[in-house]
Amino acid sequence: MFSLPIHYDRSWLSQMEQNIEQDTGWSNWERFQLALEAAQAQVVPAFDSILSLQQIYGFEPLRHQIDVTRQVIHEMRGRAILADEVGLGKTIEAGLILKEYIIRGLVKKALILVPSSLVLQWTRELNQKFQIPAVAQKKAWMWDKYDIIVASMDTAKRDPHREFVLNSEYDLLIVDEAHKLKNRRTKNWQFINEVKKKFCLLLTATPVQNEMEELFNLVTLLKPGQLGRESQFNSEFVASKRKAKNEEQLRDEISRVLIRNRRRDGDLNLTKRIVHTIPINLTPEERDLYEGVTQFVRSRFQNGAGDLKSMLSLLVLQKEVCSSRDAVFHTLFKLFKRGEAGNESISPEVAHLVELLRKVKTSSKVEEAVNIIQQIPDKFIVFTEYRATQEMLIRALQQQGISAVPYRGGFNRNKKDWMMELFQKRAQVMVATEAGGEGINLQFCSHIINFDMPWNPMRVEQRIGRVHRLGQKKDVNIYNFSTSGTIEEQIIWLLHEKIQLFESVIGELETILEKLESEESLEQSLMKIALTSEDPHQIRNRLHSLSDQFHQKKDEVVRTKQEQDERFYGSTTS
Amino acid sequence: MNDSMDQQQVRSFTERYLQYQQCQVIESAPSHIYTHLSIEADKDLLNRPMYWMYVERMGLQPNPSHQCFIFDAENPPADLKGEYVFFGCPRFTQLLDSAQKHGKFVRVYQDTGVFGMVSRQTKPYSPWLVINFFVSFVCDRKRDEIWSLGIDLQTGAIQEQFDDQIKNNKWLSRIPAKRYTEEANMSISEAVGELEYYLQDRLQNGELAWAEEAEERLQQELAQLDLYFPDDMSLSEEQLKSKQDRRRELVWQYHPRVETRLINAGLFYRDKVFRYQ
Repeated sequence: MFSLPIHYDRSWLSQMEQNIEQDTGWSNWERFQLALEAAQAQVVPAFDSILSLQQIYGFEPLRHQIDVTRQVIHEMRGRAILADEVGLGKTIEAGLILKEYIIRGLVKKALILVPSSLVLQWTRELNQKFQIPAVAQKKAWMWDKYDIIVASMDTAKRDPHREFVLNSEYDLLIVDEAHKLKNRRTKNWQFINEVKKKFCLLLTATPVQNEMEELFNLVTLLKPGQLGRESQFNSEFVASKRKAKNEEQLRDEISRVLIRNRRRDGDLNLTKRIVHTIPINLTPEERDLYEGVTQFVRSRFQNGAGDLKSMLSLLVLQKEVCSSRDAVFHTLFKLFKRGEAGNESISPEVAHLVELLRKVKTSSKVEEAVNIIQQIPDKFIVFTEYRATQEMLIRALQQQGISAVPYRGGFNRNKKDWMMELFQKRAQVMVATEAGGEGINLQFCSHIINFDMPWNPMRVEQRIGRVHRLGQKKDVNIYNFSTSGTIEEQIIWLLHEKIQLFESVIGELETILEKLESEESLEQSLMKIALTSEDPHQIRNRLHSLSDQFHQKKDEVVRTKQEQDERFYGSTTS
Repeated sequence: MNDSMDQQQVRSFTERYLQYQQCQVIESAPSHIYTHLSIEADKDLLNRPMYWMYVERMGLQPNPSHQCFIFDAENPPADLKGEYVFFGCPRFTQLLDSAQKHGKFVRVYQDTGVFGMVSRQTKPYSPWLVINFFVSFVCDRKRDEIWSLGIDLQTGAIQEQFDDQIKNNKWLSRIPAKRYTEEANMSISEAVGELEYYLQDRLQNGELAWAEEAEERLQQELAQLDLYFPDDMSLSEEQLKSKQDRRRELVWQYHPRVETRLINAGLFYRDKVFRYQ
């Protein structure tokens, strides 16, 4: 018969004997009962329930996230690769699993290794969403002092931290961006392999990027032997570097340790995106300024040719003139200070621009923004790339009696939180210069104005992603301000009509851009097109061929992904 | 006991805790309680050991904190800043832990009411030792049970679910007039041994499928490991270490066992029941 080991703790006994002997230290009946009730509340009555759901407050996990939690704990026994596509909430899943284990008393000590840029974000999420007392590792002494630590992988694997980590035993190890562990010969892989861990979660949206071997390495890190030895794996499953055989069996093996939710799976309930292109007609004065700046930029470019730094600031100028007079002024001033230092007088070209600038008294874009915001009594987030525009906009909105708060990357954490709270509770509008970064979740707002347009599609998607995300209950309206007859109009045409960036999430956008940008960034390509084309007609033609390239890469990426999905994870929806 | 406490239960637990811990309740409403904590409660709930160390070292006047606990997040008090308390938040977890810390040991006497007033005779109590065990069944999963066991220190008879038997009686901290306690026939540590032995026997004869399954999973995993690192002489030192490490991890993860801790224990002097022989 199976003999069940039982551990008793008797450390309390001497205390009680002492109480009896000295007749002191007794509690009373009420407290005794309350203690028992407290213990009763902490009882976990069943092996296979999920308790964490009742113990979080302020958000509701989605069904697929709950399913993942259940599956990892009860079927995969706490060792799993979480491979949801980007945006489905792997962090939430990992948080729920950690919380569940903590409630059950199965995890006390946990280590969460993430890229250094995400350390604070993870720490905040665990504390705020899950009430898990995680701390961000900053100093070496912290390793032994705290039970739940978020640290960057690069720090943890280096001395003196390495020793602390390898001498500890972690009930749960979580590694975010685990595709960095695909090569067994790297320090990362070997380090994670050496960490002593009971449960382990590896998070990655791309478990296989290129070769089958990557998957083998990832799974072997989690459970050596799950896919056999390398030679067995190669002879049983690998046809060539990138091709598998015995796919069904392989899928079966993989599904024991890996969970992948895809966007088409499940009920994500993402709402619709409704895109409005708002044509902006410039006043004659604004038009003169636009033409003047464009002339200036082109002639400077042709004279100076090639110097990337000055090319960049010229480009900024070209973009800014589509945003606001204030933004142009700001850059002109800097350009003037840098380039013309020592010169007594302003060059006639610049003086001419300043003259044009002075004549601009109104902003057609601001008028349109006010117009839209006054018509719709709802929250708006207005994105601009330029701080000068941001300040001008807030002033202009306030003059019209519209309450607006600023948001930018340079604010410290507290100020960011405060602005978010003001926006949610008091102000109608937030004017933001930054879309990326942590913590801006604006599901309560469903109107976005792109006051000016970044030329980098990732930045555009980040902007929309702040609002159009899990938890957004309404359809999201996106207003793209497009000044007629300018380069901005052309860029928006490319992003909207040709790349179809706005209507839906392009899940593979980052990968497509990586492939497309192997030689130069998309922004640089656009810059060249803008600066070297003869006329708008030529710009359009060149943008056209750029979009063809985009679609070609997109097809490639989508095809590869589908093949991999079918091969490794099965094509049926769960 | 299965579902976590709802807000009303959280509130009533908190209220009782504050009362038993001698915290002064300044304002009490369905939505919140505003309180001046006692020193003990402040130490247990507010994580400020440095402050208390400083106060005690310097011999200063201690100044425990005021706290407002909010139970209805939708209707917080207008004029008080407070903290939303719910089952699962760290503060309430501390409260549960603190309650357990301060209710560990009792010695109590059954209150039988008016008896002493009317009788001329003195009447005996029989001594019982009660232990509430928190019992956890652990492998890669876990569940818990509470075992409340009482043992008659004269006869050695053991009763289960003792908490149910005693919870409807009244218990006094001091022995009432005209009562006396009978002598125990075994020491406390002997009695503890008896209860531990009894519990072990009950658990060993209980439902063990979970443990057998876990043991089976462990053996499967170990077998898989052996296939991955065949135990021949060809393993490098590094591989050998990997294998040993992994083996330890597997045992750590799956090994089925029962872990117990003491919730609380008490000497209960029960009214002696005379049975017909």
